[in-house]
Amino acid sequence: MERRELIRWLVATAGLQSLNALGAADLIALGRDVHRRPLHRAISPRVERTVAVAAERILPGATEANVGAFIEKMLADWHTDAEREWFVGGLADLDTRCRARAQHDFVDCSEADQVAVLTALDDEVFAAGAKDHWFARLKYLTVYGYCTSEVGMRALHLYPAPWRYDGCAPV
Amino acid sequence: MTPPDFDAIVVGSGMTGGWAAKELTELGLRTLVLEAGRPIIPEQDYVEHKPPWEMPFRGLGDRRALAARQPVQSHSASFDELSHVFWTDDADNPYSTPSDRPFFWFRARQVGGKSIIWGRQVYRWSDLDFAANLRDGIAVDWPIRYADIAPWYDHVERFIGVSGQSEGLAHLPDGQFLPPMALNCVEQHVQRRIADQFGRARVLTIGRVANLTVQHNGRAPCHYCGPCQRGCITRSYFSSVNATLPAAQATGRLTLRPFNIVKRLIMTGNRVTGVHVIDAKTRAERVYSARVIFLCASALESARILLNSGIGNSSDQVGRNIMDHIKWGGASGVFDGWTDRRTIGERPNGIYVPRFRNVTSRHPDFIRGYGFQGGAGRGGWQAALHAPGIGAALKARLSDLGPWSMSFGGFGEMLPREKNRATLHPTLVDAWGIPSLHIECQWSENELAIHRDMNVTAAELLEAAGAKNIEPSTSGPSTPGGTNHEMGTARMGRDPKTSVLNRWNQSWDVPNLFLTDGAAMTSSSCQNPSLTYMALTARACHYAVEQLKRRDL
Repeated sequence: MERRELIRWLVATAGLQSLNALGAADLIALGRDVHRRPLHRAISPRVERTVAVAAERILPGATEANVGAFIEKMLADWHTDAEREWFVGGLADLDTRCRARAQHDFVDCSEADQVAVLTALDDEVFAAGAKDHWFARLKYLTVYGYCTSEVGMRALHLYPAPWRYDGCAPV
Repeated sequence: MTPPDFDAIVVGSGMTGGWAAKELTELGLRTLVLEAGRPIIPEQDYVEHKPPWEMPFRGLGDRRALAARQPVQSHSASFDELSHVFWTDDADNPYSTPSDRPFFWFRARQVGGKSIIWGRQVYRWSDLDFAANLRDGIAVDWPIRYADIAPWYDHVERFIGVSGQSEGLAHLPDGQFLPPMALNCVEQHVQRRIADQFGRARVLTIGRVANLTVQHNGRAPCHYCGPCQRGCITRSYFSSVNATLPAAQATGRLTLRPFNIVKRLIMTGNRVTGVHVIDAKTRAERVYSARVIFLCASALESARILLNSGIGNSSDQVGRNIMDHIKWGGASGVFDGWTDRRTIGERPNGIYVPRFRNVTSRHPDFIRGYGFQGGAGRGGWQAALHAPGIGAALKARLSDLGPWSMSFGGFGEMLPREKNRATLHPTLVDAWGIPSLHIECQWSENELAIHRDMNVTAAELLEAAGAKNIEPSTSGPSTPGGTNHEMGTARMGRDPKTSVLNRWNQSWDVPNLFLTDGAAMTSSSCQNPSLTYMALTARACHYAVEQLKRRDL
């Protein structure tokens, strides 16, 4: 988050006046916390949780990589309003499918039911070749968010950089 | 008569402005460099090591801001979430085109100009290029030949540092090379198979690139981090910020003024005596005077300054003959094997296949030719963005390198045509009130035939190499300007009636005015042009200083 954005967020949340009272460690923690939260709450806490849980089921490790916050940032500040409505509208299908299957909303279902619902959806979307399906967007953002996170890049040995070039290295 | 403020004024601080600054100051001239944009402090402004998670949009860019402020610039090849600050703001710097003939005018305003964000590929031009217009009866003849510029290519290459492989090709002369970068396993294989099938008629070599492979003139070798367009804290690629401007600074004769936008040149008789500038921040206006002026503001910007000044245009050629390189033709293919091998690190360079059309034979459909750039590699997690499956299966795909694939992308020569022209817009002005350009430019049938042929021969190269799933490019031709090799808007020539500059890049009409950026090009070759701009700049500077000493200017 840019410093300018950070200040705007602090002002918006009335956090500014209490800054002076914080010690260095608290400030760093606050900065880290702020970093994880989008500027404008573009989606409800309920949807936020649905996204976070679905991301973890789609790609284990997504939670540790804070993929949910990335997706929320993209929904808030990158996608258009219409795209966001389309995405959030589509996401409601997860609740519909889970209620039909296990009488609970998606986030309240068991992990096995969540995985079953997502797997069925994935099969349907890919069988139809529907790249412009909201679920394809969710998967795209999940994979992208993970692979550009520090956790993901370290796990994939993409970071730190090797600082050399070898055009014929063993795998 | 009061003495002028400076011996020389250079307009622009990029690829050619930096060279003019270095040469003129080293030859003893007190030189003022005027730069329209901001200063660059490498320690603050170079951000090539910033990881994706420190970018608000992880490299996808601030889509809304870009749509509002950089809808044209964002099409540039090396434009990204961090490097976007090195391109201009389209809202502040408007231009127009016919609605059915788009032209991408990529522009950079900061100390260093586009030398910060260039592709760094450097190739000499040869007499296949310098004699081309004469041979084909097209436009006007170049007033120089390879022998005139060859020592200046040496001069520039020795300073900037060019890694590359000598190939002994007459039409792509070898240069002063640092050790070449390595071809990867598959590229080596393709190189051998092409040699087996085509002999020396088609050659694959490693790209010649202004990235250092060894310590050179106090600059460190490349460390293969990848995003050169975000700067280079080790100064491992050539830019004016990294090399020529520090050299000019070291003479003690350089004055560099950022935020100085040139409005027009001031004439006294047939000589240019001053440069009228606007302070980009305060909008205060003033005039700087000098004995000699170098315009190095980029092809279209330098033409704009001439047109806004109403000088140097007795030939009516200023703004005409816009050329770029046509691209997006080519092919890609997949290779079995080498599954136990991968690349490590980001090589800021690819392969090069020098022009092979119309070199020794004659193609029925077009004159001139094209070269290929490209390379081989394996995939990465990006393949999983659209992959089926969830959970552990999807996660495993992130580490799947996939097969080796290789692609060739052509860069084709464009013919000079008078109708491809920039004129002053009657009403449109930039944020500082300076009249802007209206640009009309389109490909001719010759370029389109070249573009079609790229698909055919790239597929032939891949077939020769034993590739599978060969897919010719499905892209139409690139948008004119899109290669950012725009040139030709104040061409050199042999006759003041049909050209703007003489053989020394000197204005026929205004003897103490030199123009040494891409505007000076009489034809476009198919090779990347920056090296030729730099060599002509150094050559023109030495000529100008000799003339000054002889009091001929």
